[in-house]
Amino acid sequence: MSHTNGQHDEQLSNGPSSNYQYQPVSEPGSLPVASTSPPISDFLVQLEDYTPTIPDSVTAHYLATAGLETTDPRILRLVSLAAQKFVSDVASDALTNCKMRQANATVTTTKKGGKEKKYVMTTEDLSLALGEHGVNVRKPPYYQ
Amino acid sequence: MSEPEPSDPLRSCLRMAVSSLCTEVGYDCADSTALETVTEMAQSLIVELGRSARAFCELASRVEPVSADIVLSMVEMGIPVQGLKEYAMRSNRVTLPAPAQTVTAKQTAILHTGNKKRHPGHIQDHLPEMPDSHSYIRTPTHRQPVTDYESVREKAASQKRDVERALTRFIAKTGKIHNLFKTDDSNLFPLISCEKEEEGMKLPPYLDALMFKDQVFEEDEREYLPKKRKSSHNDMDDDDEDNVDKKAKLDESLAEVENIDNPFLRPVRLPRPVKTPVK
Repeated sequence: MSHTNGQHDEQLSNGPSSNYQYQPVSEPGSLPVASTSPPISDFLVQLEDYTPTIPDSVTAHYLATAGLETTDPRILRLVSLAAQKFVSDVASDALTNCKMRQANATVTTTKKGGKEKKYVMTTEDLSLALGEHGVNVRKPPYYQ
Repeated sequence: MSEPEPSDPLRSCLRMAVSSLCTEVGYDCADSTALETVTEMAQSLIVELGRSARAFCELASRVEPVSADIVLSMVEMGIPVQGLKEYAMRSNRVTLPAPAQTVTAKQTAILHTGNKKRHPGHIQDHLPEMPDSHSYIRTPTHRQPVTDYESVREKAASQKRDVERALTRFIAKTGKIHNLFKTDDSNLFPLISCEKEEEGMKLPPYLDALMFKDQVFEEDEREYLPKKRKSSHNDMDDDDEDNVDKKAKLDESLAEVENIDNPFLRPVRLPRPVKTPVK
């Protein structure tokens, strides 16, 4: 995935720990300690009886296509958790966009009662959300 | 979704997981395009994480990946590591059941005969099985003829018996029969009628046995009985109708006499003395 690799500098607003690798070089002496984190190994222990949404076999298959074969299910769960979190983040951003859009629509049309209570994930909202994560999505509205 | 089901079951599993995540976030429905996009991204993310983690792992001269490799890849990709724990412990997480591995039903060979050979040692197990032995082995077989004197003799005798029986029954069913008994039931013991009707007259059945057909000594010898009857009729009356009547009467009288109508019980008919022509 070349989308995020080159563009992750600007978009990391999510977690505090991500900052430590992007310290401006002008402050060489004040590199924060990798704050937090009880090392992730602690987390791994908790992962042993955790079932992520993405099934283990699916994750294992896709990791195997990349060459990562492991017998440790915790690795699998770690990876699937990462993917899940990414998807959730993108989806929640898109939902925010959708709600804003609906709010704008209701304001402009001055209709009482929400127009649509149903939230539909559209490509426009998604592309906006993904853009914030560094992925440029441009899909034609129709396929030729 | 109106698009056809993709052939990759794992991909559709992933799509289901992604859509459940979207539902969890708060969405009620989604564009199929949007959903596909997100699914594609998720798959791509997983694969990239795997590739990158493997690279880190090999870089550290290891073969088995460790959690640190994953963490490093996430860092390299820009995925925040910190929020993971909180995310994992979220309250409203949805767990999908693991996709059940449906074993492709082994095609039970309906026409299974013979045993299949096992794979030789040099062939992997995942390769197809050997075919049934009957498909490539051909053994011509002959039943050994029975040359026993006793059984051959017995077989010949039984065959002869069967042939005779069958033939007589056939003729009895299809030809004229005599009843041995007075009852009308003709199915019991049918006797093939061996009447010879020549020129309306009944000849004795043993006539052929007595008269040699291959040697005719004298022409007159061949016809003695019917001539006699005929001539006697002609003597009486030359009228055809009367002939017929007489014939009928004669037959009737004969019928009366032969109430059993058994050729073996007929009255004896003496041959007519042959008149040698006197010159």
